[in-house]
Amino acid sequence: LSRAARRAAFVFTAAIALPLVIGAGRPRARMSAPATVWDSVYSPAQASRGESSYVKGCARCHQASLAGADQSPPLTGSGFLGNWNGLPLSDLQDRIRTTMPSDSVGLYDRQFVTDVIAYILKMNGFPAGAGDLSPEADRLKAIMVQATRP
Amino acid sequence: MSSVFRAIGWTHRYALALTVAGAATAHAQRAAAPAGGKPFTTAAGEWPSYGGDTRGSRYSPLDQIGAANFSSLEVAWRFKTDSLGPRPEFKLESTPLVVGGVLYTTGGTNRAVVALDAVTGAERWIHREDEGPRGAAAPRQLSGRGLAYWTDGREERILYVTPGYRLIALDAKTGKPVPGFGENGVVDLKTDIDQTILPDLVTGEIGFQGAPVVGRDVIVIGAAFREGTAPRSYKNNKGYIRGYDARTGKRLWTFHTVPQKGEPGYDSWLNGSADYTGNTGVWSQVTIDEDLGLVYLPVESPTGDYYGGHRPGNDLYGESLVCLDLRTGAKKWHYQIVHHPIWDFDLAAAPVLADITVGGRAIKAVAAPTKQGILYVFDRITGAPVWPFVETAVEKGDVPGEWYSPTQPIPSKPPAYANNGTSLDDLIDFTPELHAQAVAIASHYKLGPIFTPPVVSKAEGPLGTLARGPTNGGSNWPGGAFDPETHVFYVASSNAAPALLGMVQPSKDRSDMDWVAGLAAGATRPGFTVQGIPIFKPPYGTLTAIDLDKGEIAWQVPHGETPDAVRNLEALKGTNIPRTGQPGFVVGTLVTKTLVIAGDPQVTTPPTRPRGAMLRAYDKKTGAQVGEVLLPAPVSASPMTYAVNGRQFIVVAVSGGPYSGEFIALRLPAGEGR
Repeated sequence: LSRAARRAAFVFTAAIALPLVIGAGRPRARMSAPATVWDSVYSPAQASRGESSYVKGCARCHQASLAGADQSPPLTGSGFLGNWNGLPLSDLQDRIRTTMPSDSVGLYDRQFVTDVIAYILKMNGFPAGAGDLSPEADRLKAIMVQATRP
Repeated sequence: MSSVFRAIGWTHRYALALTVAGAATAHAQRAAAPAGGKPFTTAAGEWPSYGGDTRGSRYSPLDQIGAANFSSLEVAWRFKTDSLGPRPEFKLESTPLVVGGVLYTTGGTNRAVVALDAVTGAERWIHREDEGPRGAAAPRQLSGRGLAYWTDGREERILYVTPGYRLIALDAKTGKPVPGFGENGVVDLKTDIDQTILPDLVTGEIGFQGAPVVGRDVIVIGAAFREGTAPRSYKNNKGYIRGYDARTGKRLWTFHTVPQKGEPGYDSWLNGSADYTGNTGVWSQVTIDEDLGLVYLPVESPTGDYYGGHRPGNDLYGESLVCLDLRTGAKKWHYQIVHHPIWDFDLAAAPVLADITVGGRAIKAVAAPTKQGILYVFDRITGAPVWPFVETAVEKGDVPGEWYSPTQPIPSKPPAYANNGTSLDDLIDFTPELHAQAVAIASHYKLGPIFTPPVVSKAEGPLGTLARGPTNGGSNWPGGAFDPETHVFYVASSNAAPALLGMVQPSKDRSDMDWVAGLAAGATRPGFTVQGIPIFKPPYGTLTAIDLDKGEIAWQVPHGETPDAVRNLEALKGTNIPRTGQPGFVVGTLVTKTLVIAGDPQVTTPPTRPRGAMLRAYDKKTGAQVGEVLLPAPVSASPMTYAVNGRQFIVVAVSGGPYSGEFIALRLPAGEGR
């Protein structure tokens, strides 16, 4: 029993540690690509498109203010940032794309989701830049969420 | 630590041996128990109802896991819910039951039911329903909060409500539907409901994500709808509450949470608005006093969380605590906690039954924790407040067409356990610069005390009322836990999950409401954070102990690690900031013989440990933290505990952000605690 317990503890520890290891082994951003959400990774126009999409497709549950409610987690603030801190934007895109909207999953394409992400980034105080955030997963993999300015 | 532990080890072993013997006896008695007997209890190491019991207690007298050994808890088993549905779920809110060494729970995106060996986590059976378009159209998706167990001493049943609003009875041993219950184990909850669910049974909006509760062979079923700050219509289906026979599935009674014409309370809806207004259900947990034969309903808001212009009047039984007779559904008493609800102050959690002694007088009380961060305490037989409620004058808003109640009741005791208003004094003052930025953000909003009403959203300001309490404040559906031995109530709550009560006129293709929640077009979007940290002063979240004999707060401590965004903020480098707690509003508590246990609502990644969220144990007498265990994601449901074969387990559901739903069972390393 003790061995089983130790094994369980090991599995548990590994499960926590493994994503970190994988994260560490993940290819870093291409030389020219921005590395974090602080690097002006979306454009004001895209955030504006994202806001329209958000109001149509997300606000009913997550609220116009992004404050969330009951089953819909907040999309700004320390809870949101804590959840995604240190993870690539591709994870956030996957999460939204594969689970939202909860009553007709798969309705939103990558562009829609990426525009909404741009709006979420804006609402979390990350700076806008000249270019749009690319909807391609590979590009988003190279951009990490970082809760505070590096 | 270990020497202290060894010293008390024998006592623990003895206590557990007694407990297990008690459980075995109870099990033997169950077979011969008269119908309606209560063989399974938390006192016998089981967890037979969503809240441990039907009283909403979340209390277990187990004590093998205590202050001396909590931090050495290990994983006994884990169960991932990913494959129970077509895709992983990221909001696992179910609290399992444990009866007779078997753990039962809902899980997965389509709300499957699974039975696991409570010691090993090995699967016994799984039941899934494919509800097709009806399930997809459900207003409340995912695994829900749990299920109910019922036995008559012979048969054992598991009862749950599907996303498509069907009540299912399963044989607890096999997982097979019970043929004699409803139609082949199924009761269609969209029928036999004293109204026609519109537009049709497939898409008609009504459901229930809570756990059914059974008392004295009566199953009580709640009703829930979509989020309601910006509904499509001021008309909706009504959230009537029903009682069903646990043997047959036959409906026994229906309580009209919106009274029908001729019933008391109908006239509290002016202009006949009771006829078309809907919602007003019970989406949280019902509480049952089996001894008194009474049911306690925490009723939610009527249609339109922030706008009541289509339903002038006080709107009974919106945001009321309602007491019914368990057998007949007849109303015994009610108390409307918020008149004419326009703050989304749903009664969000199970009312808690508390037998207390106030000024030398024994009172059978019921206490309702709320989003307001106020605990409303009543004599549960008469409905009279234990400490007087003061009808307090409140501000009138500016939203055209709205009807405003001039006063709202506020209890004289106990004091609020969460901050429920906003003022400039509440804004962060870590540094003058941060304070100035917070003030600049707050200048876009209307601030004010509790019951400051929603206002018309204007681009030039105010964008809306910045409120703490409405929708996300205080404590939400996990509610609290009550210690029946010490008469102390424990609740985790948030001080920094604001809601914005701004109203806009929707386009006709979005809603036929005159006003819904929204932000004025063209306005700036200042948010609620400064450089990623909350604009409000810490503590962002707390754990509070309230002595219900005295109506006083016994202790209050910040709950939750300081968020990454605060700890790493450049402007705060070198500043020693005590633990801030976290602004989560769905933190469940469990109270045991010696501990209060609750998980952090947020993930943090401090330099000293891997990314994760802590499960914390506090000394229930003092609030001092006595242990912690790192989990891979926040605890997203209320923790529960049980003992099998002399070993105590704690099971938590974790999920959130990128981490899909998982149950984790913890216990002490072999040889410890016994």
